[in-house]
Amino acid sequence: MALDKEEMLELYRKMCLIREFEETVSKFFSQGQIPGFVHLYIGEEAVATGVCANLVKQDFIASTHRGHGHGIARGASINKMMAEIFGKVDGYCKGKGGSMHIADVELGFLGANGIVGAGLPLAAGAAFANKYLNNNGVSVCFFGDGASNRATFHEALNLASIWKLPVVFVNENNMYGISMSQERHQNITDIADRAVAYGIPGVSIDGNDVMAVYEATAEAVKRARAGAGPTLIECKTYRHHGHFEGDPTVYRSEDEVNQWKKKDPIPRFGARLLEMKIMTQDEIAAIADEVKREIEEAVAFAQRSPVPAVEELLTDVYCD
Amino acid sequence: MSVGIIANPASGKDIRRLVAHATVFDNQEKVNLVRRILIGLQAVGVRNVWFMPDYFGFYDRALEVFTGENSLQMDTRLLDMRINADQEDSQRAATLMLEKGVRCILVLGGDGTNRVVAKGCGEIPLMPLSTGTNNVFPTMVEGTVAGLAAGLVATGAVERENALKRAKKFSIWVNGQERDIALIDAVVLTEQFVASRAIWDVEKIRQVLVTRSEPFHIGVAAIAGSLCRIGPEEAQGLNIVMNRAGEQPQIRVTAAVGPGLMQDVSIADYQTILPGQRIPIVETPCVIAVDGEREITLETEDEAEIELSMEGPWVVDFKQTLSQAVAKGLFRK
Repeated sequence: MALDKEEMLELYRKMCLIREFEETVSKFFSQGQIPGFVHLYIGEEAVATGVCANLVKQDFIASTHRGHGHGIARGASINKMMAEIFGKVDGYCKGKGGSMHIADVELGFLGANGIVGAGLPLAAGAAFANKYLNNNGVSVCFFGDGASNRATFHEALNLASIWKLPVVFVNENNMYGISMSQERHQNITDIADRAVAYGIPGVSIDGNDVMAVYEATAEAVKRARAGAGPTLIECKTYRHHGHFEGDPTVYRSEDEVNQWKKKDPIPRFGARLLEMKIMTQDEIAAIADEVKREIEEAVAFAQRSPVPAVEELLTDVYCD
Repeated sequence: MSVGIIANPASGKDIRRLVAHATVFDNQEKVNLVRRILIGLQAVGVRNVWFMPDYFGFYDRALEVFTGENSLQMDTRLLDMRINADQEDSQRAATLMLEKGVRCILVLGGDGTNRVVAKGCGEIPLMPLSTGTNNVFPTMVEGTVAGLAAGLVATGAVERENALKRAKKFSIWVNGQERDIALIDAVVLTEQFVASRAIWDVEKIRQVLVTRSEPFHIGVAAIAGSLCRIGPEEAQGLNIVMNRAGEQPQIRVTAAVGPGLMQDVSIADYQTILPGQRIPIVETPCVIAVDGEREITLETEDEAEIELSMEGPWVVDFKQTLSQAVAKGLFRK
């Protein structure tokens, strides 16, 4: 499991890249330059980063409406993601899908998804395909606490457990389904408890600790590749922003938000790397500059790209 | 005469369900356990029970069945404290219970939960109930029985000297300051992160110190248990230094380092340790795990020592307590 210095720095850099991307999207959304809805991943970066660091080429991920972090962690093009969010033709969906439809199947990124819980059967299906093709690939499904109440969750876990599919179900329990607190939408506090109903292991971990996420996923992926079947990992985490940009968040207190901000995964991991002398303050500053530049270039790319022509409205709706 | 209940909603869900075959112990079962405890407490005359508040809400959930003719004849209350959903909740709750004059605390959790409670409970005896299989300090005891035993101690029906045993503990000294304690074991790991907290890879273990060593122990303490026997009340512990990779082992043992997880371990040396003796740790940088959980990160320049003490928490010996109660005729009508 031991990571070398470069790998640890890459985890840190990736989390910073997601954070910078999301803060930039937030800024341009507030200026009215981004159409549609955006759901930001700020505060949850450790989950996608720690999970995807365990994946290889033949693996798949299925994402959620809050999917930017998953795409970036999987290695999607920042330029194409930003262009898509800006609604431009050089985006992943030629600017016609927006934030919630970014996908890169070549990369094993089965896409963000506007339907809560819809990624679960997709991930189970991709895992079935990997098993059928006998290519040793696994699939990962990210989903929220609200999605764990959907039928798709129960169907996917049931089939995955019966067929021992190589899939890791990664629950991002950020304590709210839209504005509904977990205590009001389920009679349990640990979604990992649901694993036992399907005869699979379920573990609950600190989702704001990138190394805890990395370790748990490493074991779950190892188990999946060995043919032992699925695992449910519950990552306790928190989104710093509202459910969507513009959400007034009247359903949670400022004190609660501030308490969680103290557990922010990025400074937390950065501080540990400094303590270990794995990273220096100069390297932190260099990473901050590098990701800022990368995101600025993505914004410039998106802004240069044209909006889709009106004649394109009905193209790409169905596959030929 | 009041009793406290500290139930850890996070116990029984860590990564050992994935890397070993540890028990799954969901919170609803802990609710049932608390209900049984309350009935046991009431049966022996306990009239006040303080609960630690927690994010799952054991207090409300456990009490919701005690209505109408099933109502409890006791005063139950939640401590007035902020919940942070971390291990410090249990320590703060124990300290508040000490301030409230609680006479016994029932602890639902594992070695780690009891360690944290022990940091705050002072001289209040603990009645530890295991909520999993990976524990040494708490025992698997039926809730009603635990409630009876704790109640007999709290009411004074069975005298402390006939009911309690004092556990040992380790003090972990870092750069001259006492940083933490352990009740069962302190393990030096060639890790640099606390991460998912558990220990399962013996290749990363450099040193193991145990306060007790029995052949029936589970977890890292089982390594000591496979070498020699040191009872929970004997005034000694054990210090084991592992082989580095490539070194010729003095001793090789096989041990149940987790539930359903047998591993071969190469040992360079081991010796008994005495109370008051400070044992230096053999390697930095490292992570020290206390009672099965990675907890303390040390850098190269840090110095740490581990000291055995006979002054750990008082623990209810439930078998002896109940036997004393029977001998006194306390259950006769």
